[in-house]
Amino acid sequence: MTMTIGAPAVEAIELDKVYAGEVHAVKGLSFRVAPGEAFGLLGPNGAGKSTTIGMLNTTVRPTSGRALLGGVDVAEDPIGTRARSSVVFQDTVVDHPLTGRQNLDLHLRLWGTDDAAGRARLSALSELVGLGEYLDRPVATYSGGQRRRMEVVRALVSDPQVLFLDEPTVGLDTRVRHDLFDVLATLRERTGVTILMTTHYLDEAERLCDRIAIVDGGRIVACDTPANLLRALGDEVLELRLNQPEPAGAALRAAGVPPDDILVIGATVTVVLRAHAADDLVNVLRERSFVLRAVTTRRPTFDDVYLRLTGDRIADDH
Amino acid sequence: MTTTTAPITPTLPVTLDGRRPHRARPVPAALVLAKRRLALTVRSPRALVVPLMTPILFALVIAPALANTIAVPAGRTAYMTFVALATVGLLIPLNCSFSGLGVIVDRQQGAMRELLVAPIRRSSIVLGNMLAALALTTLQLVVLIAASALRGAAYETGLRTLWFVAAALVFAVLMYGLAEILSVRLPSPEEYIAAVPAIAIVPFFFAGSLFPITSLPHWLGAAAKALPLTHALALFRYGMTGASGTRALHNIWGLQSAPEMAALSLVVLLAYAALIVTAALRLFTKAGTS
Repeated sequence: MTMTIGAPAVEAIELDKVYAGEVHAVKGLSFRVAPGEAFGLLGPNGAGKSTTIGMLNTTVRPTSGRALLGGVDVAEDPIGTRARSSVVFQDTVVDHPLTGRQNLDLHLRLWGTDDAAGRARLSALSELVGLGEYLDRPVATYSGGQRRRMEVVRALVSDPQVLFLDEPTVGLDTRVRHDLFDVLATLRERTGVTILMTTHYLDEAERLCDRIAIVDGGRIVACDTPANLLRALGDEVLELRLNQPEPAGAALRAAGVPPDDILVIGATVTVVLRAHAADDLVNVLRERSFVLRAVTTRRPTFDDVYLRLTGDRIADDH
Repeated sequence: MTTTTAPITPTLPVTLDGRRPHRARPVPAALVLAKRRLALTVRSPRALVVPLMTPILFALVIAPALANTIAVPAGRTAYMTFVALATVGLLIPLNCSFSGLGVIVDRQQGAMRELLVAPIRRSSIVLGNMLAALALTTLQLVVLIAASALRGAAYETGLRTLWFVAAALVFAVLMYGLAEILSVRLPSPEEYIAAVPAIAIVPFFFAGSLFPITSLPHWLGAAAKALPLTHALALFRYGMTGASGTRALHNIWGLQSAPEMAALSLVVLLAYAALIVTAALRLFTKAGTS
């Protein structure tokens, strides 16, 4: 398979997937990932992220649309495109009774890279992530963090052009998650691999990705760099907890706050501060006899970005 | 973590897009996967021993006991050999069924996902597991035949044993294909294990294992002729017991020429195997892509 020079490393063109039972998981999704870029699909469970990755790595058949790796349609050359990519799944996929080396060797052989360069890469990557001394022990004896690092090495040992990471840190404790971030960042720097990852962890997306696409209900509702996505919300937001959030939202709109800058979720009203100061808005509500249980000003987060775009909070879906 | 600047790059020639061309593997994927399956089985001795226990029990204990108890015209040794060979027809389905369980474990524990995103044909996954099942079955067959021979079963050697080998091989391929179909259709281990007796054990009692199929009611005897195990057992006996083994073939075909009847039964087994393996490959490939 010959990759097209200058083509995006990954391209989705109007990808659509309807499962049996009329579950419309992905609705006309389109995006491009440049070679060497780290691209994130951020959204809650059920947003269509894993289905999208499945369509790109040939484990899910699209209902319509095209998925391309390096300009080559995965449907036309599934084996060739799989040879150029690798996947780190949410759950471990290595054989626990076998040693780390046996698992990595299997991956090398299946990807046809079990030559001198492949074995050198196996040694170098294992040492880089601190697994060198554990390679000849059964994976069943590894800690959770070691297994995750094994999974990343396994995926990279075949020297893929594209690395898919499907919720790679779900279920891991904080230290292991951050350890894995470091590993991924270092490996990306050293190998230049293109990364496409799905996650519902906001900090993970912000930390690892050059661009983030926010996915909701099978569609991309925004796609930009983390900085630009956050910039859309300005420097500060006002968060209010009160008994009558809907009327309070109406009062704020009457005071001149644009409707798109007011988010009402449960008993919380979040306001993007642009032309109005926090104190002024608080005074508006107090003058109208609203009882404010809590008042906070803070920097906007990706949760606010997601909330504004979809009306849902990612944390609620964990 | 200290960041170094030395890149990890391949040393082989690269194409214009900066990557090595995808090379054909010197070792087919099926062999790589068979080696993996064998490596996993070696680490689980029960997987080797458990399928062997029932046939060994039949060959070493039940067959001699039946031979001593039942006054058979052909004699004690002949009946013991008759039943001992039948246990081959029990060992192969049981071992292949166990191998099918390994596929379900792969699916549940996640290893199957790695295999499905590998740059190999999906059929290689089925064939790799099948090769491993055949290797294990061969080993167990050798143990079973040797043990039953030591216990007193009388086998003949010579070129005719090739019929036994061919029948055992084709029957094992067929049974593994069936196990693969079951593992796709019954994805939970509980459902799969519940189905194993119907596939692996029930036919044993109707296929001429403990008595000729002519001893069955007429309609059941006719149905028995449609069972692949009936043909396999007839070939096992023809291959390993000389002229006395032709009776089972004659019970099926009613012809005079033993080689002709043997060829017909082998063709039946091959047809079943081709059909079942094709269905297994199609089902597996379809199940691997949702």
